[in-house]
Amino acid sequence: MTSIGTGYDLSNSVFSPDGRNFQVEYAVKAVENGGTAIGIRCKDGVVLGLEKLVSSKLLKKDANKRISTVDRNMGVVYSGLQPDGKHFVSRARDEASSWRSTYKAPIPVSSLANRMGSYVQAYTLYNSVRPFGITAIIGGYDAETELSVDGAVGSGPKSGSGGKTKGAKEGGPYLYMIEPSGTYWGYYGAASGKGRQAAKSELEKLKLDPKDGECISLEEGVKEAARIIYVAHEDNKDKDFELELTWVSSVAGPTKGRHEEVPKALREEAEKLAKKSMEGDEDDEEEEKMEE
Amino acid sequence: MNHLPQAWGRPRDDIYGAYDHSYLPQTHANTHPTTHTQSPVVTGTSVLGLKFKDGVVLAADNLASYGSLARFTDVKRLKPFNRKAVVGFGGDVSDMQYLDRLLNSLDVQENYSGAATTEEDDGEAPAATADGEGGEDKHKAILDAKNLHTYLSKVLYKRRSDFNPLWNAILVAGLTTPPPPAPSTSTSSPKDTTTSKPTGPAPSRKPIPYLAYADLLGTTYSSPTLATGFGAHLAVPIMRRAVPDEAAAAKLSREEAVEIVKKCMKVLFYRDARSMNEYSLCVIDGKGVDLQENIKLEGESWAFAEGIKGYGTQTV
Amino acid sequence: MAAFTSYVSSAGQPSYSFPQQQSAPSHASRAPIQHSFYPYTDNGGSTLGISGDNFTIIAGDTRSTSGYNINTRYEPKLFRIGGEGSEHKGSKIVLSVVGFAADGHALKERLDTVVKMYRYQHGKEMSVNACAQRLSHILYNKRFFPYYVQAILGGVDEEGRGALYSYDPVGSYEREFCRAAGAGASLIMPFLDNQVNLKNQYEPAAPQGLEKPQLVPQPLQRAATEELVRDAFTSAVERHIEVGDGLQMMIITKDGIEEVFSPLKMD
Repeated sequence: MTSIGTGYDLSNSVFSPDGRNFQVEYAVKAVENGGTAIGIRCKDGVVLGLEKLVSSKLLKKDANKRISTVDRNMGVVYSGLQPDGKHFVSRARDEASSWRSTYKAPIPVSSLANRMGSYVQAYTLYNSVRPFGITAIIGGYDAETELSVDGAVGSGPKSGSGGKTKGAKEGGPYLYMIEPSGTYWGYYGAASGKGRQAAKSELEKLKLDPKDGECISLEEGVKEAARIIYVAHEDNKDKDFELELTWVSSVAGPTKGRHEEVPKALREEAEKLAKKSMEGDEDDEEEEKMEE
Repeated sequence: MNHLPQAWGRPRDDIYGAYDHSYLPQTHANTHPTTHTQSPVVTGTSVLGLKFKDGVVLAADNLASYGSLARFTDVKRLKPFNRKAVVGFGGDVSDMQYLDRLLNSLDVQENYSGAATTEEDDGEAPAATADGEGGEDKHKAILDAKNLHTYLSKVLYKRRSDFNPLWNAILVAGLTTPPPPAPSTSTSSPKDTTTSKPTGPAPSRKPIPYLAYADLLGTTYSSPTLATGFGAHLAVPIMRRAVPDEAAAAKLSREEAVEIVKKCMKVLFYRDARSMNEYSLCVIDGKGVDLQENIKLEGESWAFAEGIKGYGTQTV
Repeated sequence: MAAFTSYVSSAGQPSYSFPQQQSAPSHASRAPIQHSFYPYTDNGGSTLGISGDNFTIIAGDTRSTSGYNINTRYEPKLFRIGGEGSEHKGSKIVLSVVGFAADGHALKERLDTVVKMYRYQHGKEMSVNACAQRLSHILYNKRFFPYYVQAILGGVDEEGRGALYSYDPVGSYEREFCRAAGAGASLIMPFLDNQVNLKNQYEPAAPQGLEKPQLVPQPLQRAATEELVRDAFTSAVERHIEVGDGLQMMIITKDGIEEVFSPLKMD
């Protein structure tokens, strides 16, 4: 940050002589202070998790949900400035709805990521605005089954021209992360916010790439997500937090293709296991100390 | 610099001047007066609805007619809204599709506020109050059949008031939770023993069957037996014979109700020239929505037609 | 000769005594398109209101019709206005509407909102006469696309007397002692004139001739009035196909609204 104070960081959309856009980098800093958010793309769905830091004891428990639904089959979780995140979600919902009115079908996760990436990037181009102070993780499930066209009647030809190709399969679980610069990539596992480094190293240990053999199941994913959020919280222990977990599966799966909260029973079990594993770690550490 | 995102990427008016619309092809200019539906084009015929003990039966055939031409024979006119309500559409099919999309986007938006999406999360389930907070699930309530009917009838009334009607007659069926019992001072008359309101069983907080009608004029009404279009002439008398009032509907079993509706669908197929022998039938009760979309008319026989002479009353 | 010239319009084109056949509309013409959509219908039924010394009764049958069809046997035409919440707790004003039911519902919702807003803004209940005038304004404001309804508004006024107001579809209104509206109005109104306002009733002992003294209307008793309403409707049901099924009565006193339902013939 040697260029700070040279004036090139005062305005958005202005490059410094060494080719950096400082406003965007400062936005990344804003994200780094936010609670950890993660997403895991599992074999049969996507899990989103959030370490929701409790900013006041006066806030009602389990109220003020932070992970949002876009359309029916996608979820968005973000770290950083909450109002920016709310606006991001609102725009994502508008994009999804306008896609529906154009194509009479739900927007694919990849297209939403593309649209939102462009939108976020536009906020780095003008000096009348500032970049988004969030990193957003979008997780969703593009339906594999044949989807009816919105408002359509009838089932269409059964064979021949306009008929269905038998055994054709598309769709599946998808996960994307969009940064303040507008950069977005598809991920097997994504993390942002304060505890992202710890979370990322935990995510790397998981079997998430289908090419490496069996990928973890959605239910394992839920438990891992809970554990990773607890691990990521370790460096921030003085602050209280609530664990927020959502998931989305295929139409045949537990959420019937919808993005929704992880049911209470499963969330509590995952949280219990997460706490247990943390205690186990502490024991290990203590044991190690004893050995010393 | 314009800070409004919608201005980004457009030539600046202060430099290039406002966009000159005269360069657009004439078809884009507003040379014609706006036109509204004067009459329906592709139409669906009757929708039937019948209340029973713990739910409602709804039926409509799968035909969409273009005048007297049986144009589309695979048109599903019963549209489930969520797991609590179903809408049956008669009248213009394109307007039905518009309303279906409207309801679809409404359902998507409903879910954004954290509305329950699975059966387990439903406010009706007793397990939902495990933490002792009854109000916990209140915000999760989703639109029930009554809410949906109110919404749709207002859409229809607004459009008729704009002289741009949605050319439909619809039935909304499902369950609704009745309002809490009203204070006795203002509604009942203890001295009058003949008092009886035909509005169904005594008010309780248990969801009760709901069936209501709305049409292109915004007209609305509710009854244990309802039918749109030709069904109002042919099916309603048959259904009313079995279910004259709410009390009779409260005694009717699901099987009996389905049987009556199936009988009415048969009469309609025999007598309504814009009908077909394949139809959708839907039963909505406490367990959810059971929709069958390709029912074939059973025991079809035109033998009775042999005996009909003249307009039907003629005997020789 | 003048008779012939009158068939020729000033523009010099011939006109006919029968409607001219219109040429097919061409797209080039900018003439506004004639709408064939008619936005009204008649849902039949009848309502009536009678006001007494310390009460008002508003009544209506519960049949809804379209043409010769009975839509339903229970669709109330009486609505509580104001009060608390959607249940209208504590309300003391009743609106009855007969004619085009969809307009009736829209009108009732608007008036109800107005009366509720009045209480939120002024911290007191709206009086019936204020409500009555407001209703007139609502109707008059839409006079170029009217609410196709005959409305009757009932309540108790600030002196505790029964108050009854009747309206035409464009907002002309007056306070009356009794009024019948809707399909059976022409059957019920003369009966009410005779029985409530004692029209054509004379002192029995008086000598025949022009000097016969007319009977003077006396304040009505509630029980007798209820019977009068029942009689009016049972008679109307016999003579009008759009009236029947059920009779809904609301009796408004200083203590609130009492609702009574009694069956009518369903044929």
